[in-house]
Amino acid sequence: MKTNPRLSHRVYELLLIAYPSEFRSEYGSLMSQLFRDRYRHEATKHKLAILFYWFAVVNDLVVTAFKEHAQKRKGDGFMHNLRRDLIGLSACVAISVAAFVLLSYGRSHEVAPILLFGRILDAVATAGILGNIIVFLLVKVTKWNPLRIALWTFLIVNLVPAILLALVGPKIDPQFRLAATLISYLVSFLFWFSLHYAWRSADTNAVAKS
Amino acid sequence: MFQERTKLAKDRNPEDFLPLTPAMFHILLALADQDRHGYEIMREVDERTQGKVRLGPGTLYGSIKRMLGDELIEELDERPDPEIDDERRRYYRLSGFGRRVAVAEAERLAGLVKVARTKKLLAGHRLTDARA
Repeated sequence: MKTNPRLSHRVYELLLIAYPSEFRSEYGSLMSQLFRDRYRHEATKHKLAILFYWFAVVNDLVVTAFKEHAQKRKGDGFMHNLRRDLIGLSACVAISVAAFVLLSYGRSHEVAPILLFGRILDAVATAGILGNIIVFLLVKVTKWNPLRIALWTFLIVNLVPAILLALVGPKIDPQFRLAATLISYLVSFLFWFSLHYAWRSADTNAVAKS
Repeated sequence: MFQERTKLAKDRNPEDFLPLTPAMFHILLALADQDRHGYEIMREVDERTQGKVRLGPGTLYGSIKRMLGDELIEELDERPDPEIDDERRRYYRLSGFGRRVAVAEAERLAGLVKVARTKKLLAGHRLTDARA
């Protein structure tokens, strides 16, 4: 079996990205050197030794990268944050569902005060469910600023339907009111973003006090 | 500072660290007789176990990270032989507390072997039974 030590070494160095950055910066170069030393040793053996070595290395990498990430999350208080964020997500979804139920009730019973805010409730419910799930997932899988995630997510989930409705609405509904639709999505954006702003501010204060 | 750390190590109970993972115990065994760098540890374990235990880079350095954190081993500031060695390598040494943990783990395993012997689960016993 033909082998290319330099290419294998490069590939292994690329694969090291699977580890948390702190672990990589501390041990990445040592692991890379270890891989190279062992590779040279394996290359002197039988033809399939390199293939077996690669199999063992990838297996080791998958298992230990997962372990290092799990340990890092444990150290970061990931489970505590997860529980707190799940409570926040549940509260936001509950608000969205409540808005939807209120709107449905207002429509079925023709309750004028509810129908007056019908478009706003509609926007709050639809943008709320989708937006909050996206925010929750992005906060968990990325290291971006949570408030910035909330800002851009709610901007997009409110702006996209508002633009689509502005384009399509007048064609399918003669009584379509553009200004009311735009205002409802603006209110929805302000409502959800303010809620996240308040949530993150309270969280920062709690951390500072502790 | 050093005295504080030494005192802390003395106060700790080796039993609290048991059972060790196989990788950790093999690393402690490799460092029991001399200071070694990562690749040397890997080679020593490989040779001692006739290739049955192979520590991958992630397993080795993940274990080393935890063992340094628990002060079972320590990193050396100086390399044993700087003239012939690669200066990028890091050498590790078994700490006093690490040796106590290794002894405790060896005794724990010896206890298990003793139980296995009384239950006639060891190869020697099976051979004796077969002859009988």
